[in-house]
Amino acid sequence: MRQGPAAERGQALAAAATEPPVAATRRVPFRGGRDDSRFWICVFLLPFLVFYVGFTLWPLVATIVYSLFDWDGVQPLTQFIGVDNYTRILGDPLFWSAFRNTLLFAVLNTAIKLPLTLLAAVLLTRRWLLFKRFFRTVFFLPIILPVALSGLVFTYLLNPSNGALDSFLLDHGLLKQPIDLLGHDNTALLAVVLISVWQIFGQYMLYWMAALTQVPEELYEAADLDGANERQKMFYVTLPLIRPVAVIITLLALVNALHVFGIIVTLTAGGPGRATYVVSYFIYTEAFQNAPFKYGYASAAALIFAVLAFAFVSGQGLLARRAERLRQLYGV
Amino acid sequence: MLNMVGLKGLAAAVAAALCVIACGNGQSSAQPSQTAGAPVTLKVQDYSVEQTDFHKQVAAEYHRLNPSVTIEWTSIAQAQYEQTLPLAFSSKQAPDIFYWTTGGPSAMNNLLASGWIQPWTNDAAAAADWEKRWSSGSFLNGITLKSGKVYGFPWQDTHYWGPGYMYMNKSVFQQAGLDVNKPPATWSQLSDACKEIKAKTRAYCIAAPMKGVDFQRLWFALAAGRMSDLFFDYKNGKFSLDDPRLIDTFNYIMGLNKSGYLAPGVNDKDFSRQQFAAGQAAIYMDGPWMVSVWGQLGFHSDGYTVAAHPVPDDTPRGALSQRYSQYAYWLSSQSTHQAAAFKFIQWVTNPTGFFVQNFLKNSFATLAFADNKKYLTDPAWKAVFRIGDSKGFRVVYPEPLLKCPGLADSKAYTMASTTRPNGEYEVMVQDLVNNRDVTADARALVNMRQTIFETQLQKEQASGLKVSKDCYTFSDWTYDQSYNPANYPKS
Repeated sequence: MRQGPAAERGQALAAAATEPPVAATRRVPFRGGRDDSRFWICVFLLPFLVFYVGFTLWPLVATIVYSLFDWDGVQPLTQFIGVDNYTRILGDPLFWSAFRNTLLFAVLNTAIKLPLTLLAAVLLTRRWLLFKRFFRTVFFLPIILPVALSGLVFTYLLNPSNGALDSFLLDHGLLKQPIDLLGHDNTALLAVVLISVWQIFGQYMLYWMAALTQVPEELYEAADLDGANERQKMFYVTLPLIRPVAVIITLLALVNALHVFGIIVTLTAGGPGRATYVVSYFIYTEAFQNAPFKYGYASAAALIFAVLAFAFVSGQGLLARRAERLRQLYGV
Repeated sequence: MLNMVGLKGLAAAVAAALCVIACGNGQSSAQPSQTAGAPVTLKVQDYSVEQTDFHKQVAAEYHRLNPSVTIEWTSIAQAQYEQTLPLAFSSKQAPDIFYWTTGGPSAMNNLLASGWIQPWTNDAAAAADWEKRWSSGSFLNGITLKSGKVYGFPWQDTHYWGPGYMYMNKSVFQQAGLDVNKPPATWSQLSDACKEIKAKTRAYCIAAPMKGVDFQRLWFALAAGRMSDLFFDYKNGKFSLDDPRLIDTFNYIMGLNKSGYLAPGVNDKDFSRQQFAAGQAAIYMDGPWMVSVWGQLGFHSDGYTVAAHPVPDDTPRGALSQRYSQYAYWLSSQSTHQAAAFKFIQWVTNPTGFFVQNFLKNSFATLAFADNKKYLTDPAWKAVFRIGDSKGFRVVYPEPLLKCPGLADSKAYTMASTTRPNGEYEVMVQDLVNNRDVTADARALVNMRQTIFETQLQKEQASGLKVSKDCYTFSDWTYDQSYNPANYPKS
C-alpha cells in the first residue's frame, strides 16, 4: 500500500535518529561540517592545480598541437600540416644521430656514476673513516657550480693549446703531442660523460647514503658474529637490502641523463661538427637557434623523443621488476 | 575577528590571486598612443653589448637635446637576443627600434611578412630628404623600399666591413725572423711562414676557431681567395660546398692542420682571439671589427699589423662578397612612436653628428652614411681602408631580388639555407678534426639544400609566382668582378 509523503518523512526522521552520529564525529571545528571540508580541500588544491594545468598539462597539449603545424613560434598558427613534421623527423639522420648519442650518453653516464657514487657512499658511511664531512663537501661541491661554469672550466682545462691537463702531461713527458679530448669524434662524447659524472657525483652519492642508512645495523652485527668480511657484508647484506631503492635510483639516473643539455651547450655546442649532438640540443637548435624558428618541427621531435625515452625507461623498469620477482621466487 | 564567511572569502581571494599570478599574460608595457608634447620613451634593442656604455652616452645626449624623449637602449648577447626578440613580438612587448640582419637582402620582406615592421615615416618628402645622406642607389625597391615607403636603411658600410683580413702578431713574426711588412700573400707563402713560425717560436701559426660557426672566420678569408665566401654559387644558381674550388680550399686548410700550423682544439672565436693577442698565435683572420676587439683586449695596433687574406698561387681567384645586407635597425610595427623614432634615427644618422663621431671614435664599425676615413685614423684602420680599396678584394655580388622582384614572396632560398643552417661548418669541422675527406659530406649537404630549394621554387612557380632557378643564375658574372647593375632587367 502506497504511503503518503508525511509518512515517508516520518520514517526518514526515525531512521536518522537511530543511525550513529557519523557526521558529527567527522565535523571540522568550523560551522558547516563536510561541506566546509570540501571547500577547504578545493581552496588548497586550486593553486597547485592551476600551476599543474598551466605548467604541465597545457604545455604538453600545446606541444602536441604545435607539432601538427608548420609554425615559427611567432606567426599565427595557421599552416596545419598533419603528421608531416613527424614523417620528416623520422627520416632526419641528424635526429637519429642525436638520439643515438643521447642513449649512449645516458647509458654510459649511468653505468659509470652509479657504481662510483655507491662506492663513495659506502666509504663515507663507514665508522672508521675520518673527515667524513670534508669528503662529503668535496664530493658535493661540483653540483652547486652552475653548468655553464663547469663547461667553461673544463673547456680551458682540457684545451690542447694551453690547457692544464695537456700542459701537465706534456711537461712530465707523458705525452709527445697534445691530445684534444673534446675535439675528436671518438673521445668528445666520452669526455662529456666523464665531466657530467663529476658534476652530478654528489647528488647520487647522497641518494646512496640515504639508502644505506636504511639497512638495519643489527644485520651487520649479525654478519660480524657470523664472521663475514666487508666484501661479504656488502654483497650479502647491503646490496640485497638496498636493491629496491637502487632500481629507483637507476631509473632516476637514466631519466636525468636523457635530458642532458647544458653541459653540451657549454662544452661542445654539439661538436666537433655534430659528434655530440643530443636530442635536447637538436630540439633547441631547431626551435631557437636560427630564424625562422621551427617550433612545429622541434615540438614533434620533443614528442617523439619523449615517447622513445618513456619506452626505454619503462623497459628498464619492467626488467628491474622482473628481476626482483625472480629473486623473490628463488629466494636469493 | 574574521567570521567564517569572511575567512572563506579571504581564502578564495588568495587562491584567485595565485591563479592570476600563475596565468597572468605578462602584458605590462603596452604604451598608449603618443600625444603631442607628452614624454616619450623609445626602446631600442640590439646585441652590440660592447657598445653599452656608448649607448648610455647617446641616450643622455639625446635626452639633453630632447628632454621629452627618453632613450632606453638595451644590448644583450646575440644568441639570447635572437631568441627573445621573436617572443617579445608575439607577446606584444617588442621594442620601438630593433636590430635585425638575418636574411640579408630579404630581411625587409621577411620582416614585413612577419608583421614586425612599419615604415620609418609616412612623409614622402621627409624620407626623400633623409635618403640624400647615402650615395645614390643605396635605397632599393624590394630591399629597403616597399610601395614607395622606406622601411630599411644602410647601416654598416659593406665596402670595408666584412671578413677577409689577416692580422699578424708583430712579436711572433719577429721571433720567427719574418717581416710583417711583407705578409704572406699566397697560400704557399702562408705555409712557408707557418713553417718558420713553428720551427722558431713556441707560438702556433694560426689561431683558427672551430666551435659552432666560428670556423667561418678562417674559412671566409681563404675560400674567398679561391672562389667565394658564400655557400651559394650565383654563377650557376646552386649551393656550392661541393664545388671543387671550395673542396680545394678545405683541403688546403686540412693540410695546414695536419702540419700542425693551426692551434689545436675546437675553440671558440674568443679563445682564438685571446691566443693571438697573448702572442700564442701569429695569425688570426677575421673582419675589421677586430681593431676595436683587440683594443678591448688591451692589444693595440703597435702590436699587430693587418693584411689582405692570402690567395691561391696560380689558379683563378674569387673575391669577398659585397651584398645588400647592411640593413640593421628597423622600426617595430608595435611602436606607437613613429614620429619620435624617425626623428631619433635622423639624429643618429647625421653624417657629422654626435652619434657618428663617437661611434667611429670607438671603432665599433664603419658606417654607410659617414666619412669613415675622416674619423678612423688608427694605423690599423688605415690599413683596412687600403686593403678594402684594393682591386678585387671585395666585389658587389649579383642580387637575385633585383633580377626577379617576385622573389620578395619566395621562401625557397630561406627554406633551403635554414634547414641545418650551420651544416656547412658542422660538416667541415667534423671532417677536419678527424682528417677525413669532406667531399661526400659536402655533396650530401648540397643535395639536401638544392632539393629543398628547387622543389620549393617549382611549387611557388606553379602557384603563379614569377620565380625560378634562373633568378639565382648570373652566368655572365665572374667571381672576382662586381656585377654590373645595368644587367638587371629594367622594371
